Amino acid sequence: MVFNTGAALLDAIVLAVVSREKEGTYGYKITQDVRKVLEVSESTLYPVLRRLQKDDCLEVYDRQYDGRNRRYYKVTDRGAAQLMLYRSEWKRYSSKINAIFEGGVDL
Amino acid sequence: MSRREFIEELERLLADLPEEERRAAVQYYEDYFADAGPEHEADVIRELGGPEKTAASIRADYYGTEFREEDYDNKAYMEKYGQNSRRREENAGWNEGADHAANDSGRQDAAGSGPGAWSESDSRQQSGPGTSRRMKILLVVLLALALIPWLWRVLLAILGCVFGLVCASIGIFAGLVIGSAAIMIAGIIMIGVAVVMVIPFLPVAFLVGGIGLILFALGMAATVGTVKLCAIVYPAMFKGIINLCRRPFYGKAV
Repeated sequence: MVFNTGAALLDAIVLAVVSREKEGTYGYKITQDVRKVLEVSESTLYPVLRRLQKDDCLEVYDRQYDGRNRRYYKVTDRGAAQLMLYRSEWKRYSSKINAIFEGGVDL
Repeated sequence: MSRREFIEELERLLADLPEEERRAAVQYYEDYFADAGPEHEADVIRELGGPEKTAASIRADYYGTEFREEDYDNKAYMEKYGQNSRRREENAGWNEGADHAANDSGRQDAAGSGPGAWSESDSRQQSGPGTSRRMKILLVVLLALALIPWLWRVLLAILGCVFGLVCASIGIFAGLVIGSAAIMIAGIIMIGVAVVMVIPFLPVAFLVGGIGLILFALGMAATVGTVKLCAIVYPAMFKGIINLCRRPFYGKAV
């Protein structure tokens, strides 16, 4: 990846990844999903998840799995609204960039 | 390092965080190891870059400070980056294209380190082309010297002038010291003459002796003063010359 991923974009990507699971998802899977599309080191995502949780964009709950408690993350209503904002912002942003890259735009 | 050691070390490094923060982080990484499976334990520890880096990223987020991933290079990261910088050195000034490619992959490593990512890659971008630009200037100078033979003579003349000026200033200050010392010695000799003259010409002896004492005192003061002056001027001069010589190679900040 040539382009940097800023904090807001990382937040948006994590929210999008978590929102794809209705029942919520867990840290390891979130990291693997994000790493499928983005080169991030494994220690990058915990602070992001923690921040989103503190901002009430994510909620956590523990569920029994394989004889232990596993922590699940789920998008809250606030998180869903935030994700919607991110999506529309991204659409605006990326369409402008695309227009410049592919030509045919009046600057 | 085992998973147990990693978790214990992480817990220790987060000791100053509130209980709640520490427990959440430790539980996250406990979960993480459990979900990765014991067969990936070593991979996960290597990828996380050790408990120090992991703790630093958590603390940076908690305290709202910037986390600089490059300060906590793990081995894999070092290897990747080491290759890039080596490649960049080989290509500096000769192959622009490959130079850029190396820069790009350098930035790739930086990508995704969170809030610190911008500043990290910026500083790298600056250091890359900066070195090759200086290299280019040096190459252009060398090329000009090879192509225009009389440039060598001009350069030698300039170097000679500089050398002469340096020697002259060293000489001037050394001369001041020697002159002062000579006045002092003259004073001593005059005192000696006065002592010899005490019996035949008492008044003249007093006059000569007095002048001798004054000269001795002035000479001594001047010697001490000029030696101190040299102690200040010589090191400053040499430092200045060395900095001047370094500048073309390392830039202004030496």
